[in-house]
Amino acid sequence: MELMKLEIVTPDGVIFDDEVKQVTLPGSEGEFGVLPKHSTLLSLLDAGVIVIDTKDNREVSVAIDSGYVKVEEEKTLCIVNGAVALSGDDSNLAKAIAEAKELLQKAGDSNMAIAAAMSKVEHIAKGL
Amino acid sequence: MANLKEIKRKISSVKGTQKTTRAMKLVSSAKLKRAEEVAKRSKIYAKKLTELINEIAQKISKSSGGIDNIFFHENPNPKVVDIIFITADKGLCGAFNYQTIKAVNRVRKEYSGATIRLSGIGKKGIAFFKYNKIDMINQIEDLSASPDYDRASKFISTLVEDYINGKTDKIILIHNGYVNMITQEIVEQQILPVDSSTIELKSVSMSELEVEPDDDDTLIDTLIKKYIDYTIYYALLNSLAAEHSARMQAMDSATNNAGEMVKKLTIKFNKARQEAITTELIEIISGMESLK
Repeated sequence: MELMKLEIVTPDGVIFDDEVKQVTLPGSEGEFGVLPKHSTLLSLLDAGVIVIDTKDNREVSVAIDSGYVKVEEEKTLCIVNGAVALSGDDSNLAKAIAEAKELLQKAGDSNMAIAAAMSKVEHIAKGL
Repeated sequence: MANLKEIKRKISSVKGTQKTTRAMKLVSSAKLKRAEEVAKRSKIYAKKLTELINEIAQKISKSSGGIDNIFFHENPNPKVVDIIFITADKGLCGAFNYQTIKAVNRVRKEYSGATIRLSGIGKKGIAFFKYNKIDMINQIEDLSASPDYDRASKFISTLVEDYINGKTDKIILIHNGYVNMITQEIVEQQILPVDSSTIELKSVSMSELEVEPDDDDTLIDTLIKKYIDYTIYYALLNSLAAEHSARMQAMDSATNNAGEMVKKLTIKFNKARQEAITTELIEIISGMESLK
């Protein structure tokens, strides 16, 4: 399967920079998935969860509050205000999930999106 | 002898000063490390954001022959120019604050035909312009020592508002920036209108750019507001790192100078002591001679 480059940048630095198979993004007009060779697109991102299919077939989730994404054929760049990666071992994960919830709650202007994102975070918490 | 005592007192006073400057240097170098780390991390974000804005500007200007968005509209004869400067809250950092003030005055001269409105961040610069009876429309102290995104954003939002309403034609930001441990550099950047003329036209893919939400003003407006907020915030971080590095340098040379002064005074002290001994000896000898 083809790969593309994904970069997630926050004010605290780069939190993800690797080749991925697919990424699902919480766009302001609805969630959308991006595969390699996607046409160029610029979109606002709402509070939600970015789901990444990494090249070694793992699923990584990153909760974000808001931001922008620029999709190119070979490369996707996410510029977000705040992000929490939901990964790591059990104790770290629990902490990350709590942080993610806090982040989403703070973002709170559109309740629907946040509720959806929250349930997603909880789903991830259960699944792991 | 009185002279001896005086020199001794001076030596101990200089030594005391040296201790203070050395401590301040250590404090600054510790703070610098932290400030530098923060500035470095947000630099990536600032850079990506700028790149994104530039690319959009390029795309728009190519596709429609010109940019009609208000944020890009350059007024060749600005009537009102806003200058924002960032200085430190504290002194004892060499020419750090003065360089910024000098740059502000230069820019003021440059736009002498227009009405100039000053906005200041940082006690030192504000104090300077107050003393010289130059009015400022906005001033905020204690922000440059502890940069805060929300306060910075609030500070700039009134100016952006003015720009949108046509009350000002240009917003320029001047601050002292961090280059490395021993160099600072004055940064003078035009915040609004976004300067699309300096953007280098690299080969961007000419494919159609899809924008979501699709009335493209919403996206560009929010993006540019974010860009402005972040530019100010990053300038604060950058200025703080520069301040600490400038203070570290100033305190380092102060410590060295104090050391040199102690050395000179010690020599002077020894000479004076020797002189006193010689005079005493001569007095004794001549006294004995006269008894013979």
